[in-house]
This record gives sequence, structure tokens and C-alpha cells, in this order.
Amino acid sequence: MPERPAYIIVIGAGKVGFYLSRHLLEGGYEVALIEKDPARAALVAAQLGSCASLVGDGDEMAFLATSGIERADVVAAVTGEDEDNLIACQLAKRQFRVPRTIARVNNPRNVQLFHQLGVDVAVSATELILGVIESGLATHGDVLQIPMGGSKAALVRVTVPVGQAVGRQASEIADLAAERLLLIVRNGREIPPETPLEAGDQIVLFTQRPASDFMLEVPELLSPAAR
Amino acid sequence: MATCRARVAGDSQARETASAIGDILAAVKVVIVGCGRVGSTLANDLAREGHEVAIVDISRRAFDRLEQNFSGQAILGSGIDQEILEQAGAEKADCFISVTNGDNRNIMSAQVAQEIFKIPRVMTRIYDPIRERVYREIGLYTFCPTVVGAAIARTFFESGAAEADRARHSVAASGASGGA
Repeated sequence: MPERPAYIIVIGAGKVGFYLSRHLLEGGYEVALIEKDPARAALVAAQLGSCASLVGDGDEMAFLATSGIERADVVAAVTGEDEDNLIACQLAKRQFRVPRTIARVNNPRNVQLFHQLGVDVAVSATELILGVIESGLATHGDVLQIPMGGSKAALVRVTVPVGQAVGRQASEIADLAAERLLLIVRNGREIPPETPLEAGDQIVLFTQRPASDFMLEVPELLSPAAR
Repeated sequence: MATCRARVAGDSQARETASAIGDILAAVKVVIVGCGRVGSTLANDLAREGHEVAIVDISRRAFDRLEQNFSGQAILGSGIDQEILEQAGAEKADCFISVTNGDNRNIMSAQVAQEIFKIPRVMTRIYDPIRERVYREIGLYTFCPTVVGAAIARTFFESGAAEADRARHSVAASGASGGA
């Protein structure tokens, strides 16, 4: 930990903003929570302590200037409106040189757009839940989507099912998928890549394709016919 | 463009001339976001002059402001939604104007029009003068009614009605705002 805790400005005190702020405060960060509805701000202030919450408009420049935004390490705009989150991040970035801006996105199509328009990280709950559902449909693993500067890069974890791919090598499966093998885990421990697979082993791969596409291919990769 | 200048000047004769010119000139495809007073007035005028108009609003009732025989397309939906803008024909539009009552919605939809759909002429209304200056600096064509309104009121205060009228026409003709 650095000697000075990171200063994080959260814009929007809805449920996401409130719980985010509370966890950040518990984690020892310096937090300012900005909310334009005075009644909501008062409620949140009562629970978080007034020093952490400010009433005002997260994209009103004059107000932002009073929040000490120029020394903020992160601005996270998490209101329910995509347009408000975009503009708050753009102003933070362009006017106040905030090093890292994070926007909550409701319409998944806006993730790419937000990156294009200068937001560092755009997080779509819709897309995350979609990823969980789709990886659930694939039944063989799950997907950890890791945003990397606007690319679709993701870590994918495939769990070896009973009776499939047993005895084969993880590297063989990674080669078939044309993805990079990072790690094989058995009973919570890393095992060497040449170890014959057993049911329950977890294979962690890195993919730059949409992770949901990759997960749909998994059953085929693991089937005996794929040799 | 001659047609624009004549219309904002509010001269009915010039308006008729402009309408005639509009018929001769190739129709311009324009997407307007926000069917409030400004958006609907503009949409009605441009459609009457033979331009290809698509207007977007999130409220169906807003379209009541359009004329009975409005020849353009009215699309119900959000102007920041790329799919809605596609439906409005943004891919082939020559001009885009966002005039909803939300500054951020206007700014975001204008950026989508400019960056994603590459519409050659994009204009947006921003009420907040500070935000307006920021986005003008980064390359959006912006218009701030607050600045323009205050400037005209100030001219009236200092120099009277005749000067204020002159200021109004010159501001309307150039569409400029500048600083406060």
C-alpha cells in the first residue's frame, strides 16, 4: 500500500454507487460520493458519514472543481444513465487529467463506444450477466472477462467433465482451440502441463476472441472425436 | 447555407424563396434528435422544403408537434442508442442535429453521429456554457442558447430594441456562441 490512500470519486449514489463507496471506505480508500438528488445524498451521508458524500451534479464542471477532482486517482461514474457516465468521465479525463476513469454502461453496445470516446474502462453489467449465462449454457466452464484497453481479451476457465478429455494433455486442447494455455489446476494446485487430465481439472486459457464464442466450442474440443 | 440563414431571420418572403431553392437543390438527409419545440419546428420546416427528415424522440406524444402531413420519418427511441440512429438512417445522413432537453444526451448522441456514423455535419445544443466550451474545443459544433440569450438580453439592456434585433439576426445568421 502507498503511504497515501488512493482518492476515488464515485459519481451516482444509486445502489451500485452506494455499495461501491462503502466497500472502498472499508478498504481504506479516500472516497467522495457525488449525488445530485439532495434527499438521496442525505440518506447515503447518514450511512457513510457526511465527509464521504457530496450533493451536486457529477458533470457540472464548477461543482466537480470543488470536489478536489484534480488530485483524484480514479473517477467511477456509476449512475443509471449511460450519457451522464460518459460525459462525467470525459470531463474528468480532459479537464482534470484524472488518470483512470471508469464508467458503468447499461447498453452493452456502448462499451466499445466509450473506449473510443476516451473512457479507460467501461463496465456493462448486462454483458457480465450475459457472459455468465452463456458460459453456463456451455456447461464446461466459466469466463472471466478482463478488460484490456478496449480489446475483448478474456481469461477462460474450462472444467474437465467426467468421461471427457480424461487422459489427454491440456496443451493439446489449447492447441486445438488455438489459444494460449496459462495454467492447469487440480485440487487447488498448479500441475505441469504434460500431466494427463482428470475429471475436475481446471484449464485456464487466454483468448482474444469474444469469450462467449470460445465457450461454445468447448464441448467439441473436449469430445473424444476432437483428437 | 442560404436556406438556413433566411429561415432563422424569420422573413416570410425569404422563407418562400428558400423553399423554392430547396426544391431545386438536392434534398439533404438530416437526422434530428429531440422533437421538442426546436426539433419539431426544424423538422416541419425542412420536411416542407423537401428535405429527407428523420426525427427521434423517446416520447410518442412529442410527435404531436409534427404537422399532420409531415413527410419525414418519426422514430420512437433514444437518440443515444446506435440501433435507433441506424433506423433513422444515420449511416447515410448528411447532417445531424441533437436538440433534446438534456445536455449530456445531446453531447453523447452527437459524438455517436460524428465518431461512429461519420456524419459530415453534426451540431448539438448545450445549455451549460462551460460544458459547451469544452466540447466545442474538442471538435463538436455546439450551440449554447444560454450564452446567446444572455448576449441579446444584455444588448437590449445597454442599447435598446433596435440593437438587440440586430444582434439577434447576426447571432442567428452565424450560429456562433463564443465565450460569455
